[in-house]
Amino acid sequence: MGLTRGAIEAMAPDQSALTAASALLKPAKWPVRARSGHLIWGECQGSGANPYRVVADTDEQGSKCTCPSRKFPCKHAIALMWLFVEDGATFQNADIPAWVNDWMGRRRKGAPAPSGAAGEAKSLGTAREAIADAPPDPKAEARKRAASEKRALDTRRSVRTAAEDLDGWISDQLRTGLSGFLNEAGERCRRIAARLVDAKAGALASRVDEMPSRLLVLPAEQRIDGAVAEFGKLALLTRAWRAAPDDPDLRREVIGSETREEVLANAGSPRLESLFEVLGERTLTRRDGLVSQATWLMNLGAGAQRFALLLDFFPASAGRRSGAFVPGERFIAELAFYPAHLPLRAVIVRRDQSIDASNRWSDSWPDAAADPLAELAEQALAAPWRTETPVLLPAGRICAEASGRAWWRSHDGIVVPLRNAPSALALGASIERAAGVWEGARLSLIAARTNWGRLGFDA
Amino acid sequence: MRELEAALARICGAWMAGRSALEHCPAEWRSAIEGQHSEAALASLTGHATSVLFRAAPSTTLEPRPLLPTLSLPVIAETLRPRFRRILSAQKSGPSIERHVIDLVAARGRSVHPADWMPSPRDDWAPDVYAPWLDWVRTESKAKAADSALTIESYAHWSWAQRRVALVELRGADPAAALAIIAAKAASEPAERRARLLEILEIKLSEADAVFLESLADDRSERVQAMARAYLARLGRIAEAGDLATELKEMVELGKVGLINRRTRLVIRPLKTSAQNARRHDLFKLVSLAALARALGVSETQLLEAPPDGTADGIVAFVQMVATTGSDAARRALLDRMLADDASPVSHLRAIAPRLSAQERRALAPRIMARDADDLETTLVIAGRELGAVPSSTMQASAAYGSLSKLFENARDGADSRRTHENAALGAALNRIALLLDAAGAAEIAARAVSWGLSPADPKLDLLYLNAALKTETNP
Repeated sequence: MGLTRGAIEAMAPDQSALTAASALLKPAKWPVRARSGHLIWGECQGSGANPYRVVADTDEQGSKCTCPSRKFPCKHAIALMWLFVEDGATFQNADIPAWVNDWMGRRRKGAPAPSGAAGEAKSLGTAREAIADAPPDPKAEARKRAASEKRALDTRRSVRTAAEDLDGWISDQLRTGLSGFLNEAGERCRRIAARLVDAKAGALASRVDEMPSRLLVLPAEQRIDGAVAEFGKLALLTRAWRAAPDDPDLRREVIGSETREEVLANAGSPRLESLFEVLGERTLTRRDGLVSQATWLMNLGAGAQRFALLLDFFPASAGRRSGAFVPGERFIAELAFYPAHLPLRAVIVRRDQSIDASNRWSDSWPDAAADPLAELAEQALAAPWRTETPVLLPAGRICAEASGRAWWRSHDGIVVPLRNAPSALALGASIERAAGVWEGARLSLIAARTNWGRLGFDA
Repeated sequence: MRELEAALARICGAWMAGRSALEHCPAEWRSAIEGQHSEAALASLTGHATSVLFRAAPSTTLEPRPLLPTLSLPVIAETLRPRFRRILSAQKSGPSIERHVIDLVAARGRSVHPADWMPSPRDDWAPDVYAPWLDWVRTESKAKAADSALTIESYAHWSWAQRRVALVELRGADPAAALAIIAAKAASEPAERRARLLEILEIKLSEADAVFLESLADDRSERVQAMARAYLARLGRIAEAGDLATELKEMVELGKVGLINRRTRLVIRPLKTSAQNARRHDLFKLVSLAALARALGVSETQLLEAPPDGTADGIVAFVQMVATTGSDAARRALLDRMLADDASPVSHLRAIAPRLSAQERRALAPRIMARDADDLETTLVIAGRELGAVPSSTMQASAAYGSLSKLFENARDGADSRRTHENAALGAALNRIALLLDAAGAAEIAARAVSWGLSPADPKLDLLYLNAALKTETNP
């Protein structure tokens, strides 16, 4: 059964999915479109930091996408098939990439339209008109802008009060005993986080809400120090924000992040074009019901900006979202970084197809500082409120104490405690370079270059 | 620094106990914490100072493990690794083919990447090439001297896995030398390893081994005793009491087959009760082929003139008896008779498999495959580690290949619930075929499966693709 416009209309869950898909038909949104036999796949740059990867079978009309949408097929899959029906010639013939192979076992087959939509007329033409017929309204835009500015002022006022409350709360926790705090950390943090949410300090609230999770994974003997460090960083952050509430970095840490579009439109956003390697992905379900998907990239080219973080959030109720990249994958891209004291979080401006590392660029990872802890201490001066800092480690080995506690040890004898127990291979490999995230007291390894090639470390 | 360290300890101590820590604040910090929420400000300085100025240290000296040794076979290409990982992870939902896949890779002269698969300490089944990894995961630090040979004197300096590999090699080249080492050192090994050493004597078993085998009659391990008895039986030395053979004789009968060329045939009819059948089954395990032949008043050769007849479980038990206690000539005769008899299911021959040499396995696989009615399961047992060698033409003549197209139809046309089941069956069938085919055959069958409607990216084709890509110089 071939793919037709009628088939797409029939499989779409509703007209709004078609309308949303029609907004994705611009070729610029699809840096990758390819085909092999009756399989088509592509990558769509949506509103998040990570692109969505979509694969569809034009014969069976099954599809799969990395987006968390519960609609099936989602707008990305519909858009991919729509593009193919309109101009299949723009899909280059290519070998089936590994991620498509991986998904073939998990994809959902084409399904009949859901019963709720049975009576609804769905049309690709109407969907296109809905997008085309939205003329700009300058007056409405001005009203929106004014309302937004007023909201920002209100927010700043209420957050300032909440930040004061938070400092008072921190002092209370310290004075009334950290042992008691650790026993009731979840409940106490949840209460103050709720107050912060009410005051529109969303980012601060999430950070406080997640504090117990960060503390409880520490060994018991380290939790007091961990709690002091967490409280200290929070107090530093609120004090810094009060001093410079317009600082975009601090605003992001206290209130919330800019959108992708805002970062791209910001002339002050640092940009970097280089060869990047995907170090790995960390997916974390937070207590507030959101899932954070963090993709760590490393710049293999020149420049001091060594790491980049693509960070997306989506509701846990949307189900599991697949990784956007394969660890170890490399690509040339231009990234736009969120303005920050130590830029790290970024969005992809433009990306070429993944490339073979041996073609143009050096296969090796960049040099690392001989003493990574000294480098981390330097960075802590620039952004002392940060809870996670990526770091590149020089050559060394991973060792385990008899108790099972793991350490990375450089050839020069510098040791760094590790968060997770390493695999057997990691203990038997010679580490040429390793990349990880320093969490204040321990390092969470992401990937390493070893005498056995690249090793990934599951979080 | 010590003063600061002491001050920080006092500050944390106060907070732990639930007191204000301001009185412990170092003098240099006082101006920085003045104002509202001094305690919070002190926490900022304390936390930062603790994380920057002091470094965690292990409680003991860190000793890295020895590096994981490299193997004698090259690691499979990087591009094949994702597929290999997918194949192994797909096994979680079905019968495991892990061992077969590891064997297939080794048969093609490659090893797997340790990040994708590493033997566990108990994985004695792993191909010999992985012996250094087995030593490593067992944290056996004994390393053989690079240019030394295994001798009675150097035995203790070799790791267990390396020792076994060297003894197998030595037994093939110089059976007497291997026997001398095993005879001298077996007693010092635990029972499990004694049995593994004894297995090595199966290679080129001869009269020269008899004295040592007889010395094991009183071994502490019953398993070792049984193995020694079986090997002695293969050499024609009957060790067990004749009354068991006599009892077994009463439960079977001898018949004749052939109009012109009259041949003796062992007939194993169903007995009246299940208890009797179970007893006969046990007796086949306790009595040797030679003893049964003597009790029946015929020679071993006569007993194997024609394939056995009767109940399936009785025949399987008899084949097991021949495999365990029969001489090479006897088990070869049984194999020939049963293969020549179209009425004998080849599945009855599975017990013979451990006795087959690599050469015999390769030669037999196509013959077994042609008659294998168990979805190639028997062929896989007979092939053992000799995987990935069957040409496509042989495969296409097999019954299993014939049923493939039917499986494709069912997987495509069934209702959803049935289709899931049929898809699993199709995947398993393709895997079994992929394990047996040579590289060219695997590529051909994969292409054919696609032409029958399977997506080229379907994970059911993973093993065929892996096989096709694992080319060797001898199998281009």
